Amino acid sequence: MDNIKLTFIFLALMAMSSMVQAAQEGEIAPAVALPLLQDSGGPVSLAEYEGQIVYLDFWASWCPPCLVSMPIMNEIRNRLQDEGIAFEVLAVNVDSDPRDGIDFLLDSPVDFVVLSDPKGTSPAAYGVRGMPTSYLIDPEGKIVMVHEGFKRSDGEKIKQQILEMAGNTQ
Amino acid sequence: MKKFLALLPLIILAGLVCSSCQPVQAWERGTLAKPEMAIDADPMETTLNSHIFFSKEASNGGHNAAGGGCGCN
Repeated sequence: MDNIKLTFIFLALMAMSSMVQAAQEGEIAPAVALPLLQDSGGPVSLAEYEGQIVYLDFWASWCPPCLVSMPIMNEIRNRLQDEGIAFEVLAVNVDSDPRDGIDFLLDSPVDFVVLSDPKGTSPAAYGVRGMPTSYLIDPEGKIVMVHEGFKRSDGEKIKQQILEMAGNTQ
Repeated sequence: MKKFLALLPLIILAGLVCSSCQPVQAWERGTLAKPEMAIDADPMETTLNSHIFFSKEASNGGHNAAGGGCGCN
């Protein structure tokens, strides 16, 4: 009996040691306040975007699907803003060497704010499990959608979700 | 109960050891994603070998998955 108890305690300790609390849909988005990637300014915080729909995207230059998503989300962001929808993309670069992210943006510039988090504190706070992972956050700061990975067709789905949210919030 | 108390330091130690066995996090895979970290350095050679294997054996797959070690889908 004691052995069974000990085994359970051991397994529980092992399970606890690998447990990562991931940010879920319906939860309030954890705070983010980071410096800008390119202009070494900031910090810019997620809280500044309260009242807008925010697409928070964790990306790295070594992650091919992340690089696919950047121009697509830039186009969606510009189109939705032209339509008068209060929407913004906030990208967080997690390259351990920020110069890698800067090099990519020099080749493929984007119009939205890109922050730098080489130590990975913000993806850790969100419990990011794969790259890229993005969070669609409503104007009250609540996570509405968690999106892992990215393929070209995902852009349209995300856009539809934003339009649906904008319809609800306007 | 005595046995439990005797083993308690061991359990605590095991817990501490386990807590240091963290997997590489998704955002820490930059080095793993480098081309030189791939098991097959030359994708073209791998493709050709797979094709030859398929032709000879009439079966395919089971070698590896697409992409590097970055865990991106």
